[in-house]
Amino acid sequence: MILPLLVILLGLTMYPFGYMVYMSFFRYSLASWEKPQFIGFSNYRDILRDRTAISSIDFTVLLLAVAVPLEILLGMAIAFLLRDTFGERVFRSALLIPMMVPAVVAGIAWKMLYNFEFGPVNYFLSLLGIPKISWLGTQFFSRLGVILIDVWQWTPFVFLVLYAGLQSLPRDIVEASFVDGASGFSAFRYIEFPLLRPLLFVVLIIRVIDALKIFDIVYMVTFGGPGSSTHSYSFYIYKVGVSFGWDIGYASALSVLLLIAVMLLVNLLIRGLRLKETLEL
Amino acid sequence: MRKGIVAGLAVVLVFLFVSVAWAVNLVVWSSPDNADALHELAQNFMQKNPDVQIEITPLSWEVLYPRILQDLTSGAGSFDVTTWDLMTAGAIAPGMLDLEAFAKEHPELVDPNFDDEDFIPTAKYVYGYWKDKRIGYPFYGAAMFFFYRKDLFSDPALQAKFKAEYGRDLAVPKTWEEAKEVAKFFTKKFNPDSPTEYGIALMLPRTHTLFYMYLNFFGPYRRSPEGIAKFGKVDLDWGDYFTADGLPAFNSEEGVRALQDVIDLMQYAPDPLGSDYGETLEAFGKGMVAMVPQWTACLASWKESPLLQPFEEKVGVAVMPGGTPVSGGWGLGINAASKNKEVAFRFIQYATSKEGDKIQWLKYRIGPTRKSVVEDPEVLADSPWLKEAYVASLDGASHRPRIPEEPRLEDILVGTLSEVLLGQQPNSIETLNLVASEWKKILGK
Repeated sequence: MILPLLVILLGLTMYPFGYMVYMSFFRYSLASWEKPQFIGFSNYRDILRDRTAISSIDFTVLLLAVAVPLEILLGMAIAFLLRDTFGERVFRSALLIPMMVPAVVAGIAWKMLYNFEFGPVNYFLSLLGIPKISWLGTQFFSRLGVILIDVWQWTPFVFLVLYAGLQSLPRDIVEASFVDGASGFSAFRYIEFPLLRPLLFVVLIIRVIDALKIFDIVYMVTFGGPGSSTHSYSFYIYKVGVSFGWDIGYASALSVLLLIAVMLLVNLLIRGLRLKETLEL
Repeated sequence: MRKGIVAGLAVVLVFLFVSVAWAVNLVVWSSPDNADALHELAQNFMQKNPDVQIEITPLSWEVLYPRILQDLTSGAGSFDVTTWDLMTAGAIAPGMLDLEAFAKEHPELVDPNFDDEDFIPTAKYVYGYWKDKRIGYPFYGAAMFFFYRKDLFSDPALQAKFKAEYGRDLAVPKTWEEAKEVAKFFTKKFNPDSPTEYGIALMLPRTHTLFYMYLNFFGPYRRSPEGIAKFGKVDLDWGDYFTADGLPAFNSEEGVRALQDVIDLMQYAPDPLGSDYGETLEAFGKGMVAMVPQWTACLASWKESPLLQPFEEKVGVAVMPGGTPVSGGWGLGINAASKNKEVAFRFIQYATSKEGDKIQWLKYRIGPTRKSVVEDPEVLADSPWLKEAYVASLDGASHRPRIPEEPRLEDILVGTLSEVLLGQQPNSIETLNLVASEWKKILGK
């Protein structure tokens, strides 16, 4: 019974993966109209000398280091603050909207919001006496702009998972701690947070993987610029693999390296956070 | 009664089935800016040929080229006809139908009134040929133009003030040096009496836009007598970024000076590195700037702008300062794997005919590619500036490379140019040499 499913699963996952690894050892671009040519590790060697590929790592790491922790902290804070408050249902639904908006639509909307002359962001800042900011034309603000969009879009995901986790916690233990004289913070610190930890770690790993793959917002809002300020690694893979005329060999090599980086990082997280023990894997 | 209705419905269904089965379905892929015009031309063609159904599929600029290439290399034949950007000529040529060979094989399909000699010579080549292969007919003629606020340039008070400050008449700039002075004059930060906030709108994002914008500045150096003597004649396939020997030409004093011209102008423009097509269109349409280099497609939008009325008195069109605007534009060609080549051939002849070319310009502002249309009295009455600015711009245009490696070369140069404009790298020959060496590596030189 399970065999057909297994075949489909392997066909849809392992075959493309294996083909990608295989093609990474070839020079093969549709624009050249030539047959694939085996070149060994040349594509990998070229990546080490590729200025654009290397500079793309820069922004990807920044996103990982700033956006993901912000999303985790904010998502957790909102989940705790919203619990048992007035209008909880309304806020809960409203908070999920950014996550449900397609990235393409969100990108267009944020591009308009960030418009230098006519954008609402600069308008509201001007009411506070802050001069117009070039959100898409300077390194600092374009990076900040993309990070803010990522936080806006993915904090609701963190919130949703942790909020659901909070709802499922046994209330009697928390209430018993209050009877024993624990403060709200103590209950959170010693009871709720430890119980939520497995969920939190899973959310963290999902967000790390997603952040490493960021593409859509960069494509829609900044196109990697100005300079190489917001040029993410996944965005570069797209350009090489599609826009440059289907340079399949080189894009495959870039993708294999990304995959290795993701696997390494996730494994480090699993070991560092002792996730195996926590999740009883 | 019931039987009658059922029989009637059956007859209608059979009729529909037979007509659909008999009709030739032509699939036309198009960039969005060509789609509306192609749709009308398709309607006209279908009226004259009821046995033909034409389906226009607009695909965004970023998606169209990869999709065409994917289809051509696989031989899938998912489309019959497509508009193709002139820069993609080299990459797509092997999979496109050779129209000259096809016309020789099917003389009965050649429209006797097509008049191939009527095309503007440069347009005929760059939107039609790759090497010796005819891969398309010119569909959308385009070069960038210099749009300016005619009312401000003719204002006596502003003219007097400009003359007092700069010792010459206020006129539409013919060089980038002149453009810098005029842009400064129209920038409030430097001239509080300026009627506009900024002098010029520039779009310099890290996209293909920067690749062609820089050529507007590099072209005048490359095409000058000194540039021709140094770099050799321009090859229409390799374009102005290359020497006659196919080596990079921009990693030179001329390339640095051109980039410096861009840097000098940026202070007179609103958010130049964060602006692209839409932002500059808006800045001019809302009266924020006095000048803007742009494509003709903008005219349709500006014509609706309340701030630019009466339009003919407020908006002027001139040749780009330096006289060598960058070319753009599209050809219309047929997939070699198409199963409807005969009908496709008839359709593209109609779409690029004198009639089609005129409709495109008058209704959709798609630049003409035919001499007779540029000289047409009705067209000239509608757009008098075409006579002076259009053919001169198209014939004197600077060209981007049309070789298959173009997208990759473009991305490398754009990345570095953007970093220089941002101040992350110095504007020097050494910086440009790094780009040139990457280009040479890709080209195997």
